[in-house]
Amino acid sequence: MNLANLFRPPPMDPMLKIVSEVAIFRDCNRAELEALKLHLHERHFLAGEIVFDEGEEGEGMYVVIRGKLRANRKGLLAKKLLGVIQPGESFGEMALLGAGPRMATVVAEEDTTVLAMFRPELMALANARPRLGYKIAMGVALVLETRLRRVAEGQSPEPSST
Amino acid sequence: MKAGGSSDRSLEHPIIWIAVIAGALGSILILKAVAWLAFPLILAIVLYYLVQPLLQSLQSAGVTPGQALGIFLGAAIVMTLIFSVTILPSMLSSLSEFQNQIPAYWDRLQIVIRDNLLALEGRFSFAKNAKLADGLEEQLNLFLASSGKEYVADVALFLLHWLPSLLLVPFLTFFFLRDGTAFHRLVLRAVPNAFFEKTLLLFDRMDAQMRAYFRGMFGLTMLDTVSLGLGLWFLGHKPGIFGFWDAMFLGLICAIFAWVPYIGSGLGGILAVATVAVKAPQSSGLMVAVVFLFLGVRLLDEFVYTPMTVGRALRMHPLITVMMIFSGGMLGGVYGLLLAMPLLGIFSVLGQMFAEVWFDPRLRARYHARGMLEKMLASKDLGI
Repeated sequence: MNLANLFRPPPMDPMLKIVSEVAIFRDCNRAELEALKLHLHERHFLAGEIVFDEGEEGEGMYVVIRGKLRANRKGLLAKKLLGVIQPGESFGEMALLGAGPRMATVVAEEDTTVLAMFRPELMALANARPRLGYKIAMGVALVLETRLRRVAEGQSPEPSST
Repeated sequence: MKAGGSSDRSLEHPIIWIAVIAGALGSILILKAVAWLAFPLILAIVLYYLVQPLLQSLQSAGVTPGQALGIFLGAAIVMTLIFSVTILPSMLSSLSEFQNQIPAYWDRLQIVIRDNLLALEGRFSFAKNAKLADGLEEQLNLFLASSGKEYVADVALFLLHWLPSLLLVPFLTFFFLRDGTAFHRLVLRAVPNAFFEKTLLLFDRMDAQMRAYFRGMFGLTMLDTVSLGLGLWFLGHKPGIFGFWDAMFLGLICAIFAWVPYIGSGLGGILAVATVAVKAPQSSGLMVAVVFLFLGVRLLDEFVYTPMTVGRALRMHPLITVMMIFSGGMLGGVYGLLLAMPLLGIFSVLGQMFAEVWFDPRLRARYHARGMLEKMLASKDLGI
């Protein structure tokens, strides 16, 4: 038995490891991620199933764990593909800022597992742990700043601009 | 507990309203049947909502949820021990003294009522013709001889039922506080994908309303207790009727009575006037002063305390309120009286939730689409 192992923290939950790599949560430490874990809802979507509709009231964001999704927007004649969302990416972050309508429809392209984070739960967590709340708010601000920059440079925003 | 805004529209559906009322009355029957469990469960939910902000404050000071719960439990145990050693013995001795005095109080109350009715008979001929005083005495004797014993037995049975089950309250509260979030997630796992976000939102709304309601009711009870207690003490301490703590205790009982809308505050007033009548039968001026005190506190309640605590958004139509209280009382006795309104509030929110989720055609279409996808997946290799 290696005594050094006693002082090593147990390995991180694989799902939490993916969350820790998402831009919004990159600054969160292990304890904060563990606190966050209590508020993550695991959902499974079948290929072709809608996660949310454009125009629907948004209440939370999602992190893709497994599978693939696509984000569409209604165009004049047909749907416009905004992009494909891969594991380790997030979408729907705008809903964390306020209950506005969703900017796109997100559909699972193959069987997909996501972790959902609900705005009121995250707000409650941020109230209880203001440091974590600050980190998440900064994370959301950074993601939105990146997207604004892309739009300003004439590129399309990332698919996660839902 | 009534939600405002657009969600009110969902309650316009008559089937939902019927289901809400039937659900509230049905659960009164169920709760009455398992009163020994329902009573501590409700108390534990109330305690959960009262303790939660304390734990959150501890957490925002940098303590983990587990540590916050530990600190709170430690403090609660220490306070219980201090209470058991200091205040409890004197409370028990006062209670046993009060118990011994009940027959004397009862006799004096009968005398006071009889004297007042005789005075009424002397003044009005219709009262004399109706033989109010004799009639009442006869009725009281009949009550004592027959159903009085039954009522006493019922009350004793009621106490036997809920007193031991009170031990469950701290146990249940502890688990609500510790595992509440995990349980919430477990319940939400059963919600289909199509309804998930909306259900989360409505759950959050219901949670916020219940929190506001229970905390508001606690605040209202405290304000009523202090107002009535101070008023009764001010009126009764000079003639030696009430000590400070007696007045506060009576104020607390009347404030608890006031949980039953409309009827409760009246019953509390009668109790306080009866107490004054028994303790100082000659001071009719004091009885009038107590009546005015109750009316004053009732007005304060209506225009200051309720908007400050529970809020006007939780109000129901008076007709529905009175009908629910009487129906609740008929079906569930004391439990029904106390629980009718909170249960109607909870079922209204549940009705709104169900209506908002189920009557949204797009969400239902998505739900059915998921069903079809599952069916296609299951029959893919069957060649049909």
